[in-house]
Amino acid sequence: MDDDYYSIESILAENQKIQCTFKVDIPDMGHLDGGNERDIKAQSKIQLPLWIAYILIYSDYADFTIPSPFSARVKNALNAEAKSVRLSSLVGAGGLWYGFGKIVMRLLDDAPANEMSEILTKTFRDRLVEVIDQAQHFAALGPAGGGGQSGDQALMFREGLDGTERELFALAQESAKRTKQWYESSEKGRR
Amino acid sequence: MALPVSLRNSVTPPELELIASEQLVEIVPLIAMERTAFISGAYGPLRPPTKAKIPIWMAMNLKFKKKCHIVPPDWLNVEFLQERLIQETSRPEFSQLPFRFAEVAKLLLDVAQDDIQNPDKIRSLLKDIREARQAKSREGLQKIDHSELSLPNLCSMEINEIRPFFVRAMGVLTHITRDAATEARGFDGL
Repeated sequence: MDDDYYSIESILAENQKIQCTFKVDIPDMGHLDGGNERDIKAQSKIQLPLWIAYILIYSDYADFTIPSPFSARVKNALNAEAKSVRLSSLVGAGGLWYGFGKIVMRLLDDAPANEMSEILTKTFRDRLVEVIDQAQHFAALGPAGGGGQSGDQALMFREGLDGTERELFALAQESAKRTKQWYESSEKGRR
Repeated sequence: MALPVSLRNSVTPPELELIASEQLVEIVPLIAMERTAFISGAYGPLRPPTKAKIPIWMAMNLKFKKKCHIVPPDWLNVEFLQERLIQETSRPEFSQLPFRFAEVAKLLLDVAQDDIQNPDKIRSLLKDIREARQAKSREGLQKIDHSELSLPNLCSMEINEIRPFFVRAMGVLTHITRDAATEARGFDGL
């Protein structure tokens, strides 16, 4: 999520592919597509990782289409109930949906970028409370318990967490566990 | 960084407890002691049965050796906490309690149970208050945004518990919120 040059997460988020449509012919670069063609022809569509797509888009060599994790279908599903969308399956295991979204947002112009930001923020807010609730629930269970009675819906939600949310989950669980431990410890035992 | 991951995000509850044990508490000494200098200051003299104010860590030590009675602070009793609990459950904002009440209450209840009236009732009241306040900080989580969060009257232990993920969540929101600042950085910011 960070903008740090050395942030592994940021690198992983940039590794997602988006579909680009080239506006001009580019000679001798056909191998990028993995095909046998020598040149990239104008109007050809190629899936490129974001890190190379930036520069092509900014230099006006190519256009891009909104990638499928942010398609209208996903947007509708998020609007209906953000908690039932499995973000992780949209961007692959350990994927960073928010990180990907952030980068796509920066490639867009004003109006669509604002819309994208709104979707990201709304989704994040809608899901955050559930993330933290579940983290605290699992912190309270202790090492022996876990799973079982918590229900299928909760399990589905946890499996659908994106990388950023997983991190938050771990943070909340850790701190809830620590605080609980302290409340339960007793001064008398120490001496 | 040399610190283990778990210690980087925030202070641990035992560390907060240590800080809280610097606070002064009133005791009724059972032994006489001259005024003595410690690193944090000089305390005493102790002259039974005159009350004296000493730090909690010292009071605990004396208490363990049965050399004093601890006078619980004026907020650590059933009436006061009962009233706070009613406030807590009937009003939307956090009620006013001493900043380190959780730590101090736990220390005193652990060590000086016999000096406090009705300790079990106090324990259950404290637990109820804690739960009521937790529900409120969860509501605060729904209102979180990228620039600020105001939860007045939150206490040190509660702040510490929510700090790691509130900070992270606000960090994430900063990244995905689009405003003039992020836009100005533009492509260079990536």
